Parts: sequence; structure tokens; C-alpha cells
Amino acid sequence: MANDTALLDSFGTISEAQLAELGWTLKPEGLCQDDTCVLIPDRGALVSDDGLGLAVLGDLLDRPVAIDTEAGLAAVGAPRAARRQALDDLVAPDFTLPNLVGGGVTSLSDHRSKKRLLIAFSSW
Amino acid sequence: MAEGITYPVVVDADHVVTELYAISNVPTVVLVNEEDTIAMPNWSAYGSDLFSEFTGVESGKQHDRIRRWVREGDAGMSTSEAIGVVGDLSSEEEAARLHFRLALALRDRGDQAGCDRNFDRAAELAPEDWTIRRAMMPLQGQDPFGENFMVLYEDWKAKGSPYHGVRGY
Repeated sequence: MANDTALLDSFGTISEAQLAELGWTLKPEGLCQDDTCVLIPDRGALVSDDGLGLAVLGDLLDRPVAIDTEAGLAAVGAPRAARRQALDDLVAPDFTLPNLVGGGVTSLSDHRSKKRLLIAFSSW
Repeated sequence: MAEGITYPVVVDADHVVTELYAISNVPTVVLVNEEDTIAMPNWSAYGSDLFSEFTGVESGKQHDRIRRWVREGDAGMSTSEAIGVVGDLSSEEEAARLHFRLALALRDRGDQAGCDRNFDRAAELAPEDWTIRRAMMPLQGQDPFGENFMVLYEDWKAKGSPYHGVRGY
């Protein structure tokens, strides 16, 4: 869940409901998720009459953002912290993906306490 | 199949794992210990010698290394060697992954022009990334083993075969 990526209908700004889809809430103290809040140094740069600026939001949450302004669709990547942990601290980022057969999903963490051989492959 | 081992196979259409682990080509193998620590980061390892002429990799030695890790806990790489051995994605490579996802979503919506626009942007941002460039080929009606692949392969080799991970193990 914490490493999810997202697609949002957006031409550059999002609503507070869409912010909730990303798992965050706008509060007086900042952008909050559970007990954690990220301070907003310049609230005026983030919030306008159109909503919350996605590029500024991406910077605050340290998540990459790409916006196709023609289609009105935006992609928000996973928190960069997850990849940095993998590269710098050797902590394997968790992920949850659909099973190839039989329905349902599998997470890397489902198999915690076992050694895991993770193979990224493609049929091309 | 060995007892007590499971073989879950999952589908990562949006290439989320390539973003989380900085993966730029396949196969890429990661050895993960019981407590979620990475014993061997992104590793160009093979299940067989099918491509060994291409890759120069002997898979048997790699399998021995994996067996030793399973049995003795030694992946053959120290923690200090493993830290930072995989280069982080550049902001361009990161953005390419997002445009790849946008292309797939627009394709699903029937917006072919939007799909092509985002695939083109992704390719421009990450020209040497196989998870972008080669994965696009079949989605754009190209043969992933055809002429375009060979052009890409030669170009990639000329640039020093860039790879986010460990080779030669």
C-alpha cells in the first residue's frame, strides 16, 4: 500500500478527494497520513482555487509526477524513499501485484521469514 | 519441485517493481533474506544457457551461488559491496516509467494518439532502458526480436551496455 503508484484525472491540479486516493489529507498542520504530517513551507504554492498543484505536491511527498495535459491524465510514482532504502540500506521494498493465474494478489511480504528469489522477467 | 518452496507468479503491467528496485532490463534477479534485507541486489542472472552466447554468462555458476545462499546464507557479496552497487534511476528514467504507465492507460481508453505521445516521451527520456524501449515494441506492433531490437541492441552496446545492477557474478 505504501509503495503504490497512482493514475489521476488531472490537468495539473487535483481535488482533496483525489488527494485522499493517494492516502493523504490536507490539514492546518500540513499534509497528513495517519500520524505523520509533512510541513507545507508555502501553502499558497500548493493550494489554489483550482485545487492542489500536483507538481508541488509531488515535490512535498518526494514522489515523481508526470502530467499529460492534453489527455488530462497524471501518473504519480512510488515514494522515492522506497527505492533509496533498497539501494542505500538494502531494505527490499514491498509490493503487491495480481497473480498470473487464479485471481487474487501476492505481496513480497506474504513470504516474510523465508528467503525469496525475486525474478523480474518478461515474455516481451 | 523442491518441498516447501512456492512459485508465485505475478503480473506487473505498470512496471512498478522497476521503479521500486531501479530495474532497467530483464532478467534481473534480487535475493531477499528472511527479514527483508537484500542479500544480492539487481543481478543479471539466468535460468539457463539459452542466451549465453549473447550474454557471456554461465548460468550454472549463478545457480551454485544461489544454492550456497539458500543453504549457508552466503550470497557471495558483502553488505558494504552491495550498498550503492546499483545506480539510482535518473529523474528522466523515473519520469519515463510514469509516461509508460500513461501510455498504457490511454491505450486502454482508446486514445491511440495519447498512447503514442507518451510512449515516445518515455523512449526519449530513457533511451537505453530495456524495460521501456523493448517493452514498447510489441505494444506498438513491432517484433521484440526484429530489426528494431537489433538496432537498439547495437546502440546499447555502443553506449557501454548500461545496466542498473550487478554483472559478472
